[in-house]
Amino acid sequence: MNPITPIINGLKITLKHMFMKPVTLQYPTERPKVAKRYRGLHALNVSHDKAKCVACYLCPTVCPAKCITVEAAEDANHDKYASVYEIDMLRCIFCGYCVEACPVDAVKMTEEFELANYNRQDFIYSKERLLVK
Amino acid sequence: MVNLTIDGKQVTAPKDATIYDAAKLNGIKIPILCHDKKLKPFGACRMCLVEVEQMKGRQIPACTTPVTEGMIIQTATPEIVKARELVLELLLLNHPLDCPVCDKAGDCDLQNLTYDYKVDSNRFTDLKFQHEIDYNNPLIERDMNRCVLCGKCVRICDEIVGYGALTFIDRGIETKIGCEFEDGLNCEFCGSCISVCPVGSLLARPFKHKARFWALTKHESVCGYCGTGCRLTLGVKDNKVLTTIYDENQGFHKGQLCVRGRFGYQFINSKKRLTTPLIKKNGRLIESTWDEALDLVAGRLNRGNSVAALAAPRLTNEELALFKKLLVENVGTKNFDHAAGYAHAALTEGFSRSFGATASSASILDIQKSDLLLVIKTDSYETHPVVGFEVNMAVKNKGVKLSIISDKRGKLSKLPHAQTLVHRPGSEVAVLNAIAWTLLDEKLVAGSASLIAGYADLEKSLSGFSAEAVAAQCGISAADIKKLASEYAAAEKALIIFPAGQAYSGHNADLATAAANLAFLTGKYDKEGCGVLCLSEKNNSQGAVDMGFFAQDGGLNGLQILDSCAEGTVKTLFIAGENPLTSYPNRSKVKAALEAVEFLIVSELFLTETAAMADVVLPVCSFAEKDGTFTSTDRRVQYFKQAIRKSVLIKTDYEVFSSLIARLGGVAPATPAVLFSEIADKTAGYQGMTHVSLLKEGAFAAAVTTPKFIVPQAAAPFTAETGKLSLVTGSALYHNGTLSQYGEGPMHVCPENYVELSRTDAALYKIAEGDLVTVSSSSGSLQLKAKITPRMPAGVVFSPYHFSDAPINTIWSGAPVTSVTVSK
Ligand code: SF4
Ligand code: SF4
Ligand code: SF4
Ligand code: SF4
Ligand code: SF4
Ligand code: FES
Repeated sequence: MNPITPIINGLKITLKHMFMKPVTLQYPTERPKVAKRYRGLHALNVSHDKAKCVACYLCPTVCPAKCITVEAAEDANHDKYASVYEIDMLRCIFCGYCVEACPVDAVKMTEEFELANYNRQDFIYSKERLLVK
Repeated sequence: MVNLTIDGKQVTAPKDATIYDAAKLNGIKIPILCHDKKLKPFGACRMCLVEVEQMKGRQIPACTTPVTEGMIIQTATPEIVKARELVLELLLLNHPLDCPVCDKAGDCDLQNLTYDYKVDSNRFTDLKFQHEIDYNNPLIERDMNRCVLCGKCVRICDEIVGYGALTFIDRGIETKIGCEFEDGLNCEFCGSCISVCPVGSLLARPFKHKARFWALTKHESVCGYCGTGCRLTLGVKDNKVLTTIYDENQGFHKGQLCVRGRFGYQFINSKKRLTTPLIKKNGRLIESTWDEALDLVAGRLNRGNSVAALAAPRLTNEELALFKKLLVENVGTKNFDHAAGYAHAALTEGFSRSFGATASSASILDIQKSDLLLVIKTDSYETHPVVGFEVNMAVKNKGVKLSIISDKRGKLSKLPHAQTLVHRPGSEVAVLNAIAWTLLDEKLVAGSASLIAGYADLEKSLSGFSAEAVAAQCGISAADIKKLASEYAAAEKALIIFPAGQAYSGHNADLATAAANLAFLTGKYDKEGCGVLCLSEKNNSQGAVDMGFFAQDGGLNGLQILDSCAEGTVKTLFIAGENPLTSYPNRSKVKAALEAVEFLIVSELFLTETAAMADVVLPVCSFAEKDGTFTSTDRRVQYFKQAIRKSVLIKTDYEVFSSLIARLGGVAPATPAVLFSEIADKTAGYQGMTHVSLLKEGAFAAAVTTPKFIVPQAAAPFTAETGKLSLVTGSALYHNGTLSQYGEGPMHVCPENYVELSRTDAALYKIAEGDLVTVSSSSGSLQLKAKITPRMPAGVVFSPYHFSDAPINTIWSGAPVTSVTVSK
C-alpha cells in the first residue's frame, strides 16, 4: 500500500467531521435532555398540602446504601407521618429501590442531577428540601 | 400415646393432644390465627382446617379436635388451601389494610398468612369497618377495625390474668371487642392482651410509631422489678430500649408479664438519668470526673467500722458479692445491709431458724401442682402479679383450693370458691398460731411431726392461742379458723404463700416461722406442691440474701445503721441504689440520719431525693446496660446479658466497686463471670453454675432444709386508738419499690399516692372518691387522694409506699399497723 494512503484516509475523516454536528454538549450553556425515567434527586410527593409519606419505613428498610432516615410521629389527627425524612445523597447509589418500595407513591426521583455542593452537610437532604415545591 | 397418620407420615402423639398439637410435635405446620397454646381451645377462625379421612373427608379445625387412634389426616390438600384462602379473603374484606401505618406489620399473623397464601385480590366487596379508635388510653391503643375476632385478648384476660376487662360486644357483623358499657379500658394494664393479639388491634401506646418490628434487635433479659424473676425480651433500636417483646416460649410464665415488666422499661433511656459523677461543693452538687469522685470516695472509705453501706437488692449477685468484698476486706466493716434490714428477716431470721436455710422451701412452679393454697395477704397479687397469674390458673384450671388470710380483701378473693378470712390488721401471726393450735388440738398432726426438734416447746407455747382466744382478738370466728385448719390438714398437698417487703414490716421472722410450723405439723414440706413460699420484694432480694449482703456477726442492720449515722458513730455511708428517704420507715429520722452522717456516697441511676443529699453521687447502670445474675424469689438464678451500650460517663456498680478496691490496695476479680465462678463455689445450691450454663434458662439453687419448730412471737393485738383508723402499708399493683416512678408506663396509670378506705368509713367521714384528705398519725400528716373500695374492712385504710411526692413514711414509722385520723 502506498504510505500516503492512510494519511489521506485519516484527513478525509477529519474533514468529514468538520462539517458534522458536534457531539460535545457545551454544558452549562447547553443543557442535556434528561430521559423520563432518569433517576435523579429524590422528591417527596405532596397531597392535601402534606407529604404523602406515611413513615412506613419501607424505603429505609429496602435501601441498600442505608442512606434514608425516617422517624415517625403521630399528628393531631392520630395519623402517622414522617417527622424526620432525610436522604444522604453522598451515600445514595440512585438505584430507585425506595421509589419501588413505597406503598403510597410518596417518594419519586426527579430529573435533577446537579447535586454538587461545597459542604458534606449540604448533601443531607431534609424533608423540607425534598418536598415537591 | 396414640398413633396417627398426618400427610402420609406415621406419627404418635399424647392422648390429650389436639390434631394441631400432634402436627406441631412432629414438625408439620398447620396455620393458626385464634389458637394459643396457653389458652383453652376456641376454634373461632377456621384457619387451621384439616381433613380427616374417618370423618368422611370433612374439613374440621385442627386446634379443637382431639386426636384418636388411627386418624388419617391431610393438612394441605388443594381443597383445604382453597378454604383457608377463603377464610383470609373474608377476614381481609372489612380489614382496613393499613399495614404501612400499623405497628404490628412485620409481626402480624394476618399479614404473614396473607403472604403465605398469596391472597392478593378479593372476590367480595364490602365496606370497611368504621369503629371508633381508642387513642386516649395511655398504655393500650384499641383499633377494632383491624380485629379478626379471634378472642385471644378476651380469653387471656379471663383465663390467665383473671381480670375480665374485655369481652365480645354486639352480635353478627357488628361484633367487636370492648369493655363493659363500651367504656374506656381501665384494668391492670398487664398488656397480656396486646401480646397475644395476632393483628394490630391492640397496641402498646408508649411504643406507638417508634420503630418497625423488623428494625428492633431482640435482647433476652430478666425483669428488673420484682422477685418473680420473669424473663423479658427487650426491643432495642439505635441503642435505646424502645419496647418489650412478647415471646411465648420464654420462662415459666410463657412470656406473660405484669404492667411493670411490660410498660416500666422507660427508665432505662430516661432523660432524667444521671450522666456524670457529682460532688458536693459549697452545698451544691457539681459535675465532676470519675477520678476525682472515686479518689474522694476511696479516701473516705478507708475508715473501718465507721463506714456503713446500704445496697438495693436490685444490684446483681456479682455486684453485691463484690460490694461485700470491698466492705469486709478493704474497708474493714461489717455494717452493711439491704432492704432496711427487716424486709428480709422472714428469710434470714425466720426460714433460717425453721428450715435451716435462708430460702423458701417451695418454688413458683409448685403453685399449680398443689391442692390447696394458703395465701397470707391478698397483697400477694399486687406485689408479684405474675405469681398471681399462676394462682389464677391453679384455681381456675386445676381446681386448686384457695384460702386467704388477710387484713383486706383483694383480687385473689374474687377467684372462684376462694375463701378470704379477713382479720384485724396485725394479727396474722396469731391466726397462724391458732391454726397450729387447732391442728394439735384436733389431732390433725402428721405422725412425723413429733420427731421434729422443738415440738414439745411449740405445743406448750401455743396454749394461749386456742382458736376461741385468737378469734376474740382477730375478728375471724373460731369456727372459720378450725375449718381452715382441717382443710389445710386434709389437703394432700398444700402451699403457704406470703409476700415480704419494705412496706410489710409485719411479715417478719415470726410470720415465717409460724407459717413453717404449719407445714411441719402436717408434713407438708419438702414435697411437690407443698412448703412455704416467701415472695421477696425486689428482683434480686433472694440474691442479696444468698450473697450474704445483710447484717451478720454483730454488724449493724439497716435501721441501726441509720441510727448510728444520727448518733455519729457511722461517719461514712455508702448507699448503692437504695432510696431510704422514701422507702424506709420514719422519714424525719432517715432525713436526720442522712444529714448527720459526715460523708454520704450514693450510686444511683437517678438523682433521687436520697442522692440529692449526698456528698458524692456516682452514676451507674441499669440492668439493660450490664450483665450478671439475679436470683428470683424461688431461687432461680438467671443470667442476663447487656442489651445496650452504656453512655460513656457512667459505670456499672461492678466497675465502681472494682476501682474502689484497686484504690484501697486490693484486687477485684476481672469480670463478673470470674467472680460468679467464685460465688458458685461457695454459695449453697449454686455449685456448678456458670454464666454460660445459665445462658438459656437459668437454674434453681436447691435449698437443703432441716425442719425445726420455732416458737413465733405474736404481736400483741393491735387496736386503733379511739376514733382513729388503722393504717396498713403495702405495695400497689403498678409499682415496685421507688424505681417504677421513673418507668413512665406505671406512672401513666398510677401517678400518685392514695389512701384506700372502706365505704363505711367514707360515709362516716363524708369523703368522696378522689377527695384530697389529710391523713395524720403521731409522727406527721400527709395529704392523699381518697380511693373508696369495697375491699377494705371498716376501720382499716391502706396506702402504698412508692411515691416520692407523697411519701407514706412521713406518717409511718415502721409498725405493721399505725393509728391515723383521716379528715377532709
Ligand atoms: S435510590 Fe437506592 S440508594 Fe438511593 S435512597 Fe433510594 S434505595 Fe437508597
Ligand atoms: S416507603 Fe414511602 S411511605 Fe414509606 S417511609 Fe418511604 S416514602 Fe414514606
Ligand atoms: S392489659 Fe391485662 S388486664 Fe387489661 S385488658 Fe389486657 S389482659 Fe386484661
Ligand atoms: S383485639 Fe386482637 S386478640 Fe382481641 S379478638 Fe381482636 S384480633 Fe383477637
Ligand atoms: S415486675 Fe415481677 S411479676 Fe412483673 S414482669 Fe417483672 S418480675 Fe414479672
Ligand atoms: S386456629 Fe383453629 S380455629 Fe382458629
